[in-house]
Amino acid sequence: MSDAAPDQLRSARFRLEREPGWRRLEKLINRAETGGLASFSYEEARDLATTYRQAMNSLSVARDISLDLALLTYLEQLCARAYLVVYAPQQSITGMIARLFTHGIPGAVRRSSGPLAIGFVAMVLGAFAGYLLSVQDPGWYFTFVPPDMADGRTPAASAGYLRSTLYDDANNAADSLGAFASYLFSHNTQIAILVFALGVFLAVPSFLLTFYNGLLMGAFFATFAQKGLGYDAFAWLSIHGVTEVSAICIACAGGARLGLAIALPGQMTRRDALRHHGRDAVKLVVLAGLMLMVAAVIEGFFRQLVQSAELRLLIGWGIGGLWLIWVLRAGRNTGGGTL
Amino acid sequence: MKAAAHLRVPAPGHRLEAFLPPEGVPISFTIASVGARLGAQIMDVLITYLGVLLFALLLIWLDILPITSLGALFIILIFLIRIPYYILAELVWNGRTLGKKIARIRVISADGRRLTPHQVTARNLMKEVEFFTPVSLLFGAGDLGLVSGLITFCWVVVVAIVPLANRRRQRFGDMIAGTLVVENPKTTLLADLAITRQPGAARFGFLPVHLEIYGRYELQTLEAILRDPPKGPKSHVEVSRVADAIIRKIGYADPVAPGDKPDFLTAFYRAQRAHLESRQLFGDRREDKFHKTGARAAARTPNPPIRPPNANP
Repeated sequence: MSDAAPDQLRSARFRLEREPGWRRLEKLINRAETGGLASFSYEEARDLATTYRQAMNSLSVARDISLDLALLTYLEQLCARAYLVVYAPQQSITGMIARLFTHGIPGAVRRSSGPLAIGFVAMVLGAFAGYLLSVQDPGWYFTFVPPDMADGRTPAASAGYLRSTLYDDANNAADSLGAFASYLFSHNTQIAILVFALGVFLAVPSFLLTFYNGLLMGAFFATFAQKGLGYDAFAWLSIHGVTEVSAICIACAGGARLGLAIALPGQMTRRDALRHHGRDAVKLVVLAGLMLMVAAVIEGFFRQLVQSAELRLLIGWGIGGLWLIWVLRAGRNTGGGTL
Repeated sequence: MKAAAHLRVPAPGHRLEAFLPPEGVPISFTIASVGARLGAQIMDVLITYLGVLLFALLLIWLDILPITSLGALFIILIFLIRIPYYILAELVWNGRTLGKKIARIRVISADGRRLTPHQVTARNLMKEVEFFTPVSLLFGAGDLGLVSGLITFCWVVVVAIVPLANRRRQRFGDMIAGTLVVENPKTTLLADLAITRQPGAARFGFLPVHLEIYGRYELQTLEAILRDPPKGPKSHVEVSRVADAIIRKIGYADPVAPGDKPDFLTAFYRAQRAHLESRQLFGDRREDKFHKTGARAAARTPNPPIRPPNANP
């Protein structure tokens, strides 16, 4: 069968003419799918772009002139595969991360003041409720705090024992601290992701979970405060808690943005609203994860190594201040914001 | 009856037609079935946990790390294979994890652009609430009280229904990210049947009136039969039944010997395709045998015509 035989159908001649180009594209796609685009020479990259556009053009023409289902299916699948190769993500990971830190996250925080207020209010309300209830009736403490978490630090414990849990921990061998820090990080981040993702159920579970975290903290603090250890407990919580508690509140804010998008989508459809608010919500969770990583390092190492209450307060709130400066100042177009 | 069958789109073969790349030529992907996605997810869980387990055993066997560092490393690894693994894998392999590679599915951006890191992160963060937490709660379901058990049940039902209930099989994470999970396209180019290699087929000639009956649907059904002829002892009977039905329907007058029927079908396919393609060039697209030609099109009424009783193509 000679190429472009005169007695062939128009669509068959079309195919005979263009098939070598499609085959070339298919070869290039196969290489790109196994080896990646980075292995392409200049000629190959140029050929990929040209043959891709030719295949797209062939598909468009074939839909008009051909009724050969095998050909139409092939072209469609070929174009789909080529599209996935040509439009593969090409941003460099480092540039992407740099932009996330300088612009993405701070911007997302500044645009989320309402949801952030929800997150922090949930935590503060929880802490107040936990504190007041536990002060009135220590029995509440046992309702809020699971026994394995309390670890003997109950209202019935002596002031001396409670003080010993705040200072001079016996098990401060450096290598066990590392294990503790990694446990704290993975555990807390899991909770933060859960707090965020639950926001899709109208933000209520996120709020409740954050509120419960506040309750725990309040009840815990009340136990120490009643033994006259309020200041020391505050310092003990501050060194990592400023960062850690803020991270949970920020994750809650991310969840609240999702929940609000579904509950109050405004002029958009719910699906569009979810997608729109999702952009900032995800950045908030990334920020929360980052803060939890820092908090775990502080909690795992510094809390045991730093034994003075004043130093603990200074470190805790100092780091909190740095976070605040970063999210408020970084990436502003008006200049002046550097960090 | 046929119309009703047409309305009920079969779940696994559902196609997305409106995918528009920047080139402006719409292409279609097949939406992955929920079963394939669940299978990919289970494969991913098995692969990652097995990998961590083997790695841990290797380290213990080599005995190069103290037990506490081993514990720390293990905790970090278990954390990493939960959400970060999926984000990294889909970033590096352009929308595929190992499980998705095995199940031959992938993530694409629904707007026709590149898959962005934001989309990958968003859809996988939601995995925590849509897969991991419900599954671990289900495994511990025996210990739950009535209220928490009920809440867990509702939770599982909601996250299971969402991808089944929408047309594009999106779960919450897909909706937030604006992504779709589709089957990996495969390319196989079959030979063109119109370039006939059967010399016997040239014997048959067709008049224009023979070719006015059928449309695109019947032509492509015939193409499928020719490409994949019925097999087994009765294959001859099947082919000649198809040929007989066509001869009767188009009113083909010349006698066709029983042995020539495959050649007849090939010749008819070519002639019919040539005819329909040339009609199409003139703007006359004929979808199926219910198309309207000439006078019938001019006398078109607002009411749909009553369809003739269903005959063989």
